[in-house]
Amino acid sequence: MPRNGKLVRIAVALAAAALLGALAVTSAGAAGKHSTGVVKGAGSSLVAPAVAQWASMYKTDQIQYAAVGSGTGIKQISARLVDFGASDAPLTKSQAAGCKSCAQIPWALTATIPVYHIPGIADHQLKLTGTVLANIYLGNIKKWNDPAIKAINKGLNLPDMNIAVVHRSDGSGDTYVFTNYLSKVNSAWKHQVGCSTTVSWPTGVGGNKNNGVAAIVQSTPGAIGYVSDFYAIQQHIAKARLKNAAGAYVLPKISSIEAAAQLVKSEKIPANNKISLTNPPKSKKYKNAWPMATFTYVLIPESSPKAGQLKAFVTFALSPAAQSAIKKLVFAPMPSNVIKAAKKTLATIHS
Amino acid sequence: MSTLDATGQTTRRPFEGRRVHPGDVILQVLAGGAALGTVILLGLLVYKVVQGARLSLSTFGLGFIGSVGWDPLHNAMGAGSLLFGTAVTAIGALVLATPLALGIALFLTELAPGAIRGPVTALVETLAAIPSVVIGLWGIIVLGPLLRDHVMPALHSTLGFIPLFGTPSPTGTGIFTAIVVLTIMILPIISSISRELFLGVPGELKEAALGLGTTRWEMVRGVMFPYARGGIAAAMILGLGRAVGEAIAVAQVIGAFDNGISWNLFNNGDTLAAKLANEFASSTTNLETASLFYVAVILLVFSLAVNILAQVIVRRVDRAQGRTV
Amino acid sequence: MSAADASVLQRPNDRLWRRRAVNRGMEILAWTAAALAVALLGLLVWSVAKRGASALNLDLITKSQATNEFALHPPPQGLANAFIGTFIIVGIATAMALPFGILVAIYVNEFAPKAIKNFLSPSLDILNGIPAIVIGIFVFGLIVVGHGQSGIAGAFALAILMLPLVARATIEVLALVPDSLREASLGLGVPRWRTTIGIVLPQTIGGILTGTVLAVARVAGETAPLLFTTSIVGTAINTNPTQALQSVPVAIFELSESPTPADHSRAWAAALVLLLFILVTSLTARWFATRSRQKIRRASR
Repeated sequence: MPRNGKLVRIAVALAAAALLGALAVTSAGAAGKHSTGVVKGAGSSLVAPAVAQWASMYKTDQIQYAAVGSGTGIKQISARLVDFGASDAPLTKSQAAGCKSCAQIPWALTATIPVYHIPGIADHQLKLTGTVLANIYLGNIKKWNDPAIKAINKGLNLPDMNIAVVHRSDGSGDTYVFTNYLSKVNSAWKHQVGCSTTVSWPTGVGGNKNNGVAAIVQSTPGAIGYVSDFYAIQQHIAKARLKNAAGAYVLPKISSIEAAAQLVKSEKIPANNKISLTNPPKSKKYKNAWPMATFTYVLIPESSPKAGQLKAFVTFALSPAAQSAIKKLVFAPMPSNVIKAAKKTLATIHS
Repeated sequence: MSTLDATGQTTRRPFEGRRVHPGDVILQVLAGGAALGTVILLGLLVYKVVQGARLSLSTFGLGFIGSVGWDPLHNAMGAGSLLFGTAVTAIGALVLATPLALGIALFLTELAPGAIRGPVTALVETLAAIPSVVIGLWGIIVLGPLLRDHVMPALHSTLGFIPLFGTPSPTGTGIFTAIVVLTIMILPIISSISRELFLGVPGELKEAALGLGTTRWEMVRGVMFPYARGGIAAAMILGLGRAVGEAIAVAQVIGAFDNGISWNLFNNGDTLAAKLANEFASSTTNLETASLFYVAVILLVFSLAVNILAQVIVRRVDRAQGRTV
Repeated sequence: MSAADASVLQRPNDRLWRRRAVNRGMEILAWTAAALAVALLGLLVWSVAKRGASALNLDLITKSQATNEFALHPPPQGLANAFIGTFIIVGIATAMALPFGILVAIYVNEFAPKAIKNFLSPSLDILNGIPAIVIGIFVFGLIVVGHGQSGIAGAFALAILMLPLVARATIEVLALVPDSLREASLGLGVPRWRTTIGIVLPQTIGGILTGTVLAVARVAGETAPLLFTTSIVGTAINTNPTQALQSVPVAIFELSESPTPADHSRAWAAALVLLLFILVTSLTARWFATRSRQKIRRASR
């Protein structure tokens, strides 16, 4: 036997022990009861704070949610790789077909907002219009002291600095809301880029999920981006005022989101619950409306093995207690007719 | 390689007329099955990736490769800007890494005093072991701001007349950052292979040259480089392959811009692998998913070509230098 | 050497000063290259060490990620779920790749005719050269579609990465075992399979171990194969490999793109732990390999 045989044997024994250890832990886990009853979801990062809040109120270890972005959420639920998906963007016709009878249920109401990082300009000071925003993202306006921006921000000391445009690089519901708004207010945007969860951005750098965009905007002087309301507040990023159709420069608050939601208060809600709240029309009713408000949807297969648990959770999410609990996360309580439509759709889910 | 290989295959087979033990058959079947399984795995991989790309292959054909811009909404997708980004970042990294790597290898074999040799070698080996996601983390938090605040403005102000060094990116991300990150990643590959090659140059050849009165550099240029030439070429190609295939670190620092081609290295861009890392999980139309598979096919072709080229070079060099293959 | 190179060696002496100057210049360049590289690499390693060490605390491996990361005051959190997940995934990957790799190596070295060997060997190299992200996409299409993500799918992707490394290392040490040993055994009437398993293989265990440990060190830090196979996970500790498990590289990837400095700290700490693990295992394996190889060479004289 070679001289080092003993060393070899010890090493082999250690390696075997490590391997067996891994396998033992594994089989213990596989046999464990950890997995039963857990409902797994994936999707929108916009709704993630609300879902986390609800999960902690409901039964914490029963809801598992991964904020991977609306696009991935749609893909995952279409392939039935998770129990429910979440998207801020309503399913397109082909996506609905691909999801094979998925119910689309609105369960929260919040907003996407433009954020910026300009040295010397504090939070809430910058004013933007839809046209200016579109031109910034089209690459037509390149500097912060451009006349177009200065014209609507008289009195603000805008620096001679390049605008660093930031957008999402993954399939995103926030992108959908943002481009939906831009398409409505700017025909050049509508024709050149369009509205979707993934668009062909004329300019700018892409960040991964709301966190990624927030990180880039925060660390880049001169940046402009768009995130959902909660992330802007959580990360203390400066929020821009946006001019709505009525002519007011509004801030994204619960009140301005609720004002926008009046669009559907007395409307009939379509069967697939596809509702758009962007760019409310010029009218006294929408004087204070935020132009980029959005519902966000949970996507559940009409026929699901976890139908009972999913229905119970979503029913809880639609309850007044749950809707008011997320107010502090800048989610406005949904109008009653929307909740009614949501519950009606929820009832069609069966196992 | 065992010298007995030269004596042929006879030692590998059972002797003639020998009774075949059932255990022999079992082992041969198992081992052969494993080998077959490996080949099947490889074939299955190529098949699955090509099959996934079918819709895009039929819709766009070969035009996909040159088409710039990625617009899933209007069903107009192309790998043009991705290929450009991949080529620029990989070649840029190779251009930066090769002289550095050769310099280090030469330094470690010829110049370094013994006390420094150990630590520097250890440092380069450590670098090879750093996972790409950690290098990407460092790229986002440390390198990006460093380049944006100091290096890019300096390069722009001194070399700005060259279109390569145009207006610096305000985010610290971009093609240049990706090049630096990739340089760091492929440096150890080229350096350690070169170092071993240089160590393997026969001492007699080196001493003969020095004995004839050449300077050290002339000996390196006249003896070591020609001797190691093939191996260095192979090392460079392996480094290139690594740079082309790197998805994670590049995705973290390149800025994900694939709507155009620009020669300004400080602009944001995108590469084949980084695009897959960023968007494969969230593609929602069938055509977009197929197009991403198409991107994977291109990447696969690239890596296969690189691999085969490296093997051909190594084999040719081995034969030229009299080593049995 | 070509004639041109030979001429280099025979320049007349009156150009000696110029040649010496060029030599000096090249020496300086080499020193500069080394210094530049050391500076860059040193900066990188120093960053990881310093930032990682300052963020290192016991919470990292004892506490899992916070269930509600959006809460105003999230509880102290760590990455225990990621470390446990990596342990399980890499463990399963090794259990898959090790026997497979050894069998492939046995076939290539002991049974394969030359033609097949010349086909298999490059095939292993090709497999080794396939980008990890493509392997991740392949495993996604093969296993995840229809069944969902799982630790096993991630482990399978890592096993594909490990296979060529284990096989190549085993082939090398098998080739080192002298044929005289095999012939002696066969000559004594020991069947072929027993010779291979009982006589040849034990000689190579050191080398196989080394190759496997190096492969483990290599895949422990791989992110791309896990991105589409085991990345949609919860925050609690999960040991069930039929479900998606969190892993350290994927966790670092996600945390690196976060705007929160606390997330960055945890990423650095995890990166440091990962790097230390990889370094320690690589160095141990390489030290072992040198000893093992010397042993075989000594035994074969």
